[in-house]
Amino acid sequence: MPMQKSERIYRLNCFVENKPGVLARIVGLISGRGYNIQTLNVGPTEDGTVSRMKIDVLGTEKVVNQIILQLRNCVNVIEVTRRRR
Amino acid sequence: MSYSSRTGAQALVESLERAGVETLFGYPGGNVVDIFGFLRNSKMKFVLGRHEQGCVHMADGYARASGKPGVVLVTSGPGATNAITGLATANVDSVPLVLVSGQVPLSQIGTDAFQEADMTGICRAVTKHSFLLKSADEIPQAVAEAFYIATRGKPGAVVIDLPHDVQLQKTSAQYPERISLRAYHPDTAPKPRAVAELARLINSSNRPIFYAGGGVISSGAADDLRALSSKADIPIVTTLMGLGVIEKTSTHALGMAGMYGTEAANIALAEADLIIALGTRFSDRMTTTLKTKGKIVHVDCDPSSIEKNVSVNLGIVADIKDLITTVSSRIKPNSHTSWMKRISQLKRSSKNKVRKFKTSKIHPGAVVEAVAEAASDDAIIVTDVGQHQMFAARYYPTPKPRRFLSPGGMGTMGFAIPAAIGAALSMPNEKVVALIGDGGAQMTFNELKVASDEKLPITFIVFNNSSLGMIERMGEDSFVGNFSNPDFVMMAKALGLKAKRVSLVEELKSAVTNAVKSSHPSLLEVIVDADAKI
Repeated sequence: MPMQKSERIYRLNCFVENKPGVLARIVGLISGRGYNIQTLNVGPTEDGTVSRMKIDVLGTEKVVNQIILQLRNCVNVIEVTRRRR
Repeated sequence: MSYSSRTGAQALVESLERAGVETLFGYPGGNVVDIFGFLRNSKMKFVLGRHEQGCVHMADGYARASGKPGVVLVTSGPGATNAITGLATANVDSVPLVLVSGQVPLSQIGTDAFQEADMTGICRAVTKHSFLLKSADEIPQAVAEAFYIATRGKPGAVVIDLPHDVQLQKTSAQYPERISLRAYHPDTAPKPRAVAELARLINSSNRPIFYAGGGVISSGAADDLRALSSKADIPIVTTLMGLGVIEKTSTHALGMAGMYGTEAANIALAEADLIIALGTRFSDRMTTTLKTKGKIVHVDCDPSSIEKNVSVNLGIVADIKDLITTVSSRIKPNSHTSWMKRISQLKRSSKNKVRKFKTSKIHPGAVVEAVAEAASDDAIIVTDVGQHQMFAARYYPTPKPRRFLSPGGMGTMGFAIPAAIGAALSMPNEKVVALIGDGGAQMTFNELKVASDEKLPITFIVFNNSSLGMIERMGEDSFVGNFSNPDFVMMAKALGLKAKRVSLVEELKSAVTNAVKSSHPSLLEVIVDADAKI
């Protein structure tokens, strides 16, 4: 979707349980609300049971905050932080 | 005790029993046949629905009426996909529900096998969580986690997808004594600072109002809220889901707000200087009529509900019951004399107040009033979706917590018949009356056979206006296709119910009374005035 005035790219840093289906759940939560992921990077951490995801998403601050709160509600999500890019 | 010789199927049935499941709803199929083998001698009661959507709505009605999670077992493929509407309905209304679906064997997943559907993929957007199990050793733990997740924080629907070969594997895994999830720790304890701020706002406001949603009922806070409302002299408006919080006959009750709500409730919200919203997501059915210059405090157990649909002055993440009991001691007894005077003036002048229906045809509101008169105050009222639902919401005078069940968020036609069956099974000593439109009735009419098989003395009342009224009223010239009704009385009799039709105003009361007092499953078809508007 074309970038609107109040939209920015936000980087979401997520620590999630390393289990099947977790990536699909997180991506679905974002795409299901009509928002486009610009960049997605998934990798292991030192703890093999935890994965790290870096997600760049374009949206207004309100929408991105809502996405973060809903990500935190996900049963497999350990932590989410954000920064503006 | 050794479990080494049992199969995954047996471990599942044992785990469900350990989780406290007393009633299991479902439908058999090829990929759950081995689980069904262990149900025959289980202490759980198994209730066979007639369609998987009906099975899930039954479990949903069971959960809404009792507060205990509803539990469903369906097969793979079409069994699983048929359950989706039921899952969405329960999940959006925060009803705790656990569904176990069969799945094709692990080796066949992804091969377009017979009756294969990617259940965890399909249900992702309409459930709180889902599991795809790959080993029978995971079964007891997954069942315990599913019940934990379905009931903690904001309740919701959880799916366990269980491949057929996993059901046949041997396991000695045991049901866990305690559950601790690594990442899911909903914190709903009220924070002292938020409690103090809320108390300060309430004590300093002149025109406060409570706006109570379904969360007040699911957290068990209705009694506490009414007590606080009396103590601090604060009126209460509700959402559709919050209708059971307070009887409309109470001084402090204004009824339901929103699109189909009372004028008094909507004006009171607009004139309030402080709206204390409790356990609601501010649905679009409410916000379209919400016009306020007052402050808004929003309390919800789900952090993502706050600021989702409306901006608020104070957001509090907390369990509603815990918050109200904590804040109550800090609220001073008060009397808002002029505000309550305004409230009673609004209630008197409201166009929507209960009135005498004087038409030559039966008014749907008169049916609702006749039900209220005939049924005891503790009766469980279950509605479907459409005009009759909004007539029920407006005219049923004494809704009680867990006694007025309606599919608020999803607006699922076909809910009432199966949900009433589930409610009756969970509360065998209570009268259940289902109010159903003629459209919704035709969606799940087949489930009436379950009511007659189980000998449940439910009264089903079909409002027949020979139209899909809610939709036809949405536009000037709405096209709905060729809608017509079958003979509901003949159909109900064919399914084993006692059935009658009433079309005369003077016969309505006795017909409703007879139907409600019946100790058999019974259906009353009421020919209502098709021109009655909500």
